[in-house]
Amino acid sequence: MQVSAKAIVPKTLFLEGLARCMKKTEVIAPVKMKGGDITFEPISNVRQITFDYVNDHDPLKRFFIPAREELFSYHFSGNKPVAKSPPQPKPRVLFGIRSCDLQGLAHMDGFFQGAFEDQLYWQRRQQTLTISLACTEPLDTCFCICCNGGPWLEHGFDLQLTDLGETFLVEIGSAAGRRFLEEWHVPCQSAKRKDLQLRQELMQKCDEKMIPTAYLAKACIQITNNRVREELWDEMGAECFSCGGCTHVCPCCTCFDVYDCPQEDGQGTRYRCWDSCQYAGFTREASGHNPRAKAKERVKRRFYHKLSYAYIQQDGHPGCVGCGRCITVCQAFNQLDVPAVVKRLRRDG
Amino acid sequence: MENLYLPDLALIDRIVDETSDTKTFTLHFANKALNRRFSFKSGQFVEATVFGVGEAPFGFASNPHTPQQFDITVRAIGAVTHAMHALKEGDYLGIRGPLGNSFPLEEVTDQDILFIAGGIGLPPLKSLIEPMLDRRDEFGQFIILYGARTPADRVYKPLLETWSKRTDIQFLQTVDTPDATWQGPVGVVTTLMEKIKLDINRTVAFTCGPPVMIRFVIQDLLGMGFAEDRIISTLERYMKCGVGKCGHCAIGHKYICVDGPVFSYRQIKRLPER
Repeated sequence: MQVSAKAIVPKTLFLEGLARCMKKTEVIAPVKMKGGDITFEPISNVRQITFDYVNDHDPLKRFFIPAREELFSYHFSGNKPVAKSPPQPKPRVLFGIRSCDLQGLAHMDGFFQGAFEDQLYWQRRQQTLTISLACTEPLDTCFCICCNGGPWLEHGFDLQLTDLGETFLVEIGSAAGRRFLEEWHVPCQSAKRKDLQLRQELMQKCDEKMIPTAYLAKACIQITNNRVREELWDEMGAECFSCGGCTHVCPCCTCFDVYDCPQEDGQGTRYRCWDSCQYAGFTREASGHNPRAKAKERVKRRFYHKLSYAYIQQDGHPGCVGCGRCITVCQAFNQLDVPAVVKRLRRDG
Repeated sequence: MENLYLPDLALIDRIVDETSDTKTFTLHFANKALNRRFSFKSGQFVEATVFGVGEAPFGFASNPHTPQQFDITVRAIGAVTHAMHALKEGDYLGIRGPLGNSFPLEEVTDQDILFIAGGIGLPPLKSLIEPMLDRRDEFGQFIILYGARTPADRVYKPLLETWSKRTDIQFLQTVDTPDATWQGPVGVVTTLMEKIKLDINRTVAFTCGPPVMIRFVIQDLLGMGFAEDRIISTLERYMKCGVGKCGHCAIGHKYICVDGPVFSYRQIKRLPER
């Protein structure tokens, strides 16, 4: 029987299906750590899954572009180097990813395709089934409604779940999502009008709880037209510690460094690791020349990439999904997170 | 799908000392099929790997008409370039490329051509000068200006000698600091511009060199009345991946490695940082 695009499944039965899938495929899901923190990691039993969470402290981009990953390894045969690509990733299921992180992946999908397709990213992406969980309770740092990053999505998921109490409303976003339900015998019934109505109410409540802190429009105009006073960038540059925290926790940030790790026996590996445009060495050339030597220029760069019209036009959206993680990590005195800077630009011009 | 970051092996056929800190490497791909189908355009570049040390970008320095063997000219300045200088003929490099856009060539036939190069900025221009000189009669006046710190810092000295003997091109060179043997002009490369006659409405200027030199050259060309799209230059930035992903070489929303390295001044002017 064809499963309808919006279905209702008792939560316990959905998790039983997931448990059946887990016998064959790795499942990554939110679990509660001893100290109470929530983190996404591979699980061995669906009972480990917690639903008592809004989001992971770290963006889930780490499952697609890890903080450090191998580009290739090499060894020498005589004086001839022999280089080898890393092994292909295995299929897996990412359960419970939030809308903002999934929108971050949509952003990266656009970035890692095109004339030069990043196969390391795409192999992981194509091998991962995403089952997202729409948000009903935002944190006070959440501002996804300002960036089209949530609290629920229209597309981009394989399956999207909404917690309706005893049941999940299951929305099917792809053929792979439909296959998951069929293959693991998840008993779906077509959603009834009252289910959809309940979801609508939950979403409306969630929207109302959200404080719209980031009115992007004016900041976009100010940045695009270079109308921000230099003194304001000076101020923000003076406040920034150039720690790179904001870019590391950002679901849209993709910059990386590349370096070789040779071993004593002549073998070695080339890795890439997350890098940050906020680091002083990011643009420093071998000659010592550094076009963005000042923190102010780097802060400016970050917001140009996030909010300029040139980038919005290129990517189809701002470089922000409203997850609010930069608010949590920024230690600068007046905060240099997206909502704070947007507010400063709005009040300044 | 190929691994974007996996280099192909190239053999070093020849190493020529150009200056005290600069060498030219002549390379070909070890894989015969790859070597046969390989081609590049003037202005493009490669990422060269010394296994265990790292990777760095270098512009093609030879004529694209002979792509089965190509040159890169390398100044020893960082870890990768120093390691390259320690290599011998018969050693291997990893090569990814060709990368980046290219100089306009077909678009500028019938035009007068002006090259202004500084120091190690000559190699990428050489990969355009040579195919143009192969078709010398398709261009009007042909001028090459070259500036270096000292006479010894000039690259391709035998080639410069050939150019200065040609009567169908005007080749002028200058140095900042002369030595006992130097009999030519002294001063920065822009001082040579006073010695030439140009029809700015039918001349296309190509310039490459240290950023500060490019800035003064462009200033002077604009001062002479050059149209912004008749000034062609290259931008350079610290670069890692060469394929528009690592983010290091971004200026505004352009990536030097895929949108460049060749830009007209009209394009450069629109970038939010220069």
